[in-house]
Amino acid sequence: MARVQLTINGTAKTIDADPEMPLLWVLRDLLGMTGTKYGCGAGLCGSCTILEGDSPVRACQVPLSAAAGNSYTTIEGLSKDGLHPIQKAWLEEQVSQCGYCQPGMILEVRALLKSKPSPTNAEIDGALADHVCRCGSYPRIRKAARLAARLGGGR
Amino acid sequence: MTSRRQFVKLMAASGGAFVLGIRFSFADDRPSALAPSAWLRMEPDGSILIKVGKCEIGQGVRTSLPMILAEELDADFDDVRIETASPGPDFRSLGTGGSGSIMRTWAPLRQAGAAARTMLVAAAAQRWGVLPESCSTKASRVNHAASNRSLAYRELLADAAKQPVPAEPKLKKPSEFTLIGTPRARFDGPDIVTGKAVYGYDVRLPGMLYAVVARPPVLGSKAAAFDATETMKIPGVKKVVETRRGIAVVANGTWAAIRGRDALKVTWSESPHASFSSDGEVAELETLSESPGVTIRKKGAGRRAIEGSAKTLNATYHYPWAAHAAIEPVNSTAVVKDDSCEIWSPTQTPNGVQALAVQLLELPESAVKVNVILAGGGFGRRLGVDYDLEALEVAREMKGTPVHLVWTREDDMRHGFFQAPSVHRLAAGIDGAGKVVAWEHREVSIPHNARRPAPALDDLKDPAKAIGNAWGVYDTPYGWQSEEMSYTGVHSPTLIGPWRSVFSPSSVFARECFVDEVAAVLRRDEIDLRLEMLGVNDPEMPRSFEIDGDLVERDRMVRVIELVRQKARWGTWHAKGRAWGFAASYFHTGTYVAHAVNVSLKAKPRAGELPFTVHRVIAGVDCGIVVNPDGVAQQVESGILWGLSSMKNRITFQKGSVVEGSYDDFPVAMIEETPPVIETHIVRWNAERPNGVGEPVIDTVPPAVANAISKLAGKRVRRLPVTAADLT
Repeated sequence: MARVQLTINGTAKTIDADPEMPLLWVLRDLLGMTGTKYGCGAGLCGSCTILEGDSPVRACQVPLSAAAGNSYTTIEGLSKDGLHPIQKAWLEEQVSQCGYCQPGMILEVRALLKSKPSPTNAEIDGALADHVCRCGSYPRIRKAARLAARLGGGR
Repeated sequence: MTSRRQFVKLMAASGGAFVLGIRFSFADDRPSALAPSAWLRMEPDGSILIKVGKCEIGQGVRTSLPMILAEELDADFDDVRIETASPGPDFRSLGTGGSGSIMRTWAPLRQAGAAARTMLVAAAAQRWGVLPESCSTKASRVNHAASNRSLAYRELLADAAKQPVPAEPKLKKPSEFTLIGTPRARFDGPDIVTGKAVYGYDVRLPGMLYAVVARPPVLGSKAAAFDATETMKIPGVKKVVETRRGIAVVANGTWAAIRGRDALKVTWSESPHASFSSDGEVAELETLSESPGVTIRKKGAGRRAIEGSAKTLNATYHYPWAAHAAIEPVNSTAVVKDDSCEIWSPTQTPNGVQALAVQLLELPESAVKVNVILAGGGFGRRLGVDYDLEALEVAREMKGTPVHLVWTREDDMRHGFFQAPSVHRLAAGIDGAGKVVAWEHREVSIPHNARRPAPALDDLKDPAKAIGNAWGVYDTPYGWQSEEMSYTGVHSPTLIGPWRSVFSPSSVFARECFVDEVAAVLRRDEIDLRLEMLGVNDPEMPRSFEIDGDLVERDRMVRVIELVRQKARWGTWHAKGRAWGFAASYFHTGTYVAHAVNVSLKAKPRAGELPFTVHRVIAGVDCGIVVNPDGVAQQVESGILWGLSSMKNRITFQKGSVVEGSYDDFPVAMIEETPPVIETHIVRWNAERPNGVGEPVIDTVPPAVANAISKLAGKRVRRLPVTAADLT
């Protein structure tokens, strides 16, 4: 067991748990924040993507011990009212089918727009290249990412 | 609350499978609400609660089904709230599959909306002293134009509740629809993008424990013995429970449960299938395909006509095992008490889950509550109750404690049931004038066996039973002077069950590729040949035919093909290094689909990547009445990606075990493989009823693409998945 301090969505948290426990399960099972999804546990699908500072990381690949002192943003913390430009764009384009992979997609796009406020189509595809959507919502994800850029999703 | 209500069965639709419960609400404990049926509750605050009688697996039923009721009710759609129905006396047919959600709830939802509307109109007419026929309804209001009076529905609820529930309320004509046919946003959209949507994996209950199961890696093996000493040393592990299929580790979190399972030492029993391989099984299917199976459709001289033709062609096609690989692995949460049970399942078969618990726990149906939870994709996998059984078995041992039983990705990939592998042997006979006069299609596959007992092979020698396994074979819309379709079913130790589009994808792949092979040999345009085989210039060919309860209407197929040909500007433009491919099909629910695709080959595909690029997809769909056109468009897009995924992955077996385990060795289509241009064209016509769309739209994607890349590669693609080696 280890005691680890970290910040989630601006709130300081102290976690007592197995230092090897991936951040994914810390969020979901210990903190009850289930917006970060389990899809593969191997860093292949991107469903558990969250932001470490401004960088996208896969929560299933970050052991608790490596998260000490870091600051994370999850889908629950992207906006107070659900009206972040990326979220608005996602609703405008009616992206979601089952929707399970979308929190990870949205946070990956948030990281992209933060570093490249007006990405090219290829840059959007490149950022999301390793995210699985089994329903096949990619055509709308592309449109929503472009719209999100126009709405100022990088600010 | 329910017991105080009088309950009558109003009607049975869909072959008696569906019962619409009607409740009189005047003796209700909340007299100011109107709840004339189990589907609907209208509250004095103006909100209109509609029950969703199918499971949301991403296909949009939580939006499209309420639209149907709201249409007949003339509700303001902004007033509508939704709630997913649970199994019980009112809801006996919540099962979701076969692309049938809209088709099968269409009639009862319209009835329920129209009945409530009739009661509201009667109440307003009485209050005003006018004839009901002189009133109209719109946006949750009853209006009387002659006297310029108007009342909101919410002002009429108590009076309306005193009206008799009409048994046969007047329904709108499709031409009068104002909500059906308009694009509507998903109810669940805002919760999804904020992470608030609760899927099965997200169910959290006070005191809940987490469980994972160690299952035998080899087909047909069982746990002979196990040692949990090391498991119990893992902090957080609470208990180890034997289940029918394996050994469950119960812990205070997912991570501890997984680590506990890793530490478990299980001795697996010897299995007769320890040397089973998919290659071996495919060889067996291929051998069997050398002889015709049970004839399920025949005309003229059948296959014998081929031998006597001026020219004959034949080809054999292969289709592999495939996993559903839904992004949310299967899971189920249950709490079992002495006299009751409650389950939270992202299921496609809520009544099946309830029946399972009733049987396992020997409880009355009324003591088993099933909460139908959002599912992260379904695709047929969640028609199984195997994971609910595991949750119930463990929860029974942990009495009173909620147990959240989850499968990891690898569990989900290896221990589900699969799309059946199959071999298709096709042959065509061509006369001296270059006309296709005879056709044979043999399918050899493994019938569904995931629900034991598996069908007896003798049963499948009965054409009436065999035919249902050969969608896309027996119901091909084309016709020839002589034709013969046959099916051979084979037993297998591998578990086979429903997958998206069930039996169609392999058959349509084989058939639509073979049509192109014939067209190439005859130097005919492949669309022209299809239209000829649909008898557009043949007065002898019937314009429709019935087979196994299906009505196949050839002119609907022709209309979709013509639409796609026109929208693709077929034959009028070509880009260097690219080729067009085409495919068309009828799906047994009465839906017609065609795809034209524009494709190039990749010079140097990376490992795990499709060896081609699809630049443009033109899709045409006739699914009858369209409820939510944006939902149909989503399904068409989804079908393209699903179809492309089936061209890059497969499940294989070696030494009795599934080889693949995750998205690295079972890769699905990714964003970079997504066609940049997708056009969806929905045939609009004076349809009488809606048909399904979620499954029909996948079948024609792989053959259309295969037909294009076969042209580019100069060799035929007859096998899925397609690798770079197949194209050089």
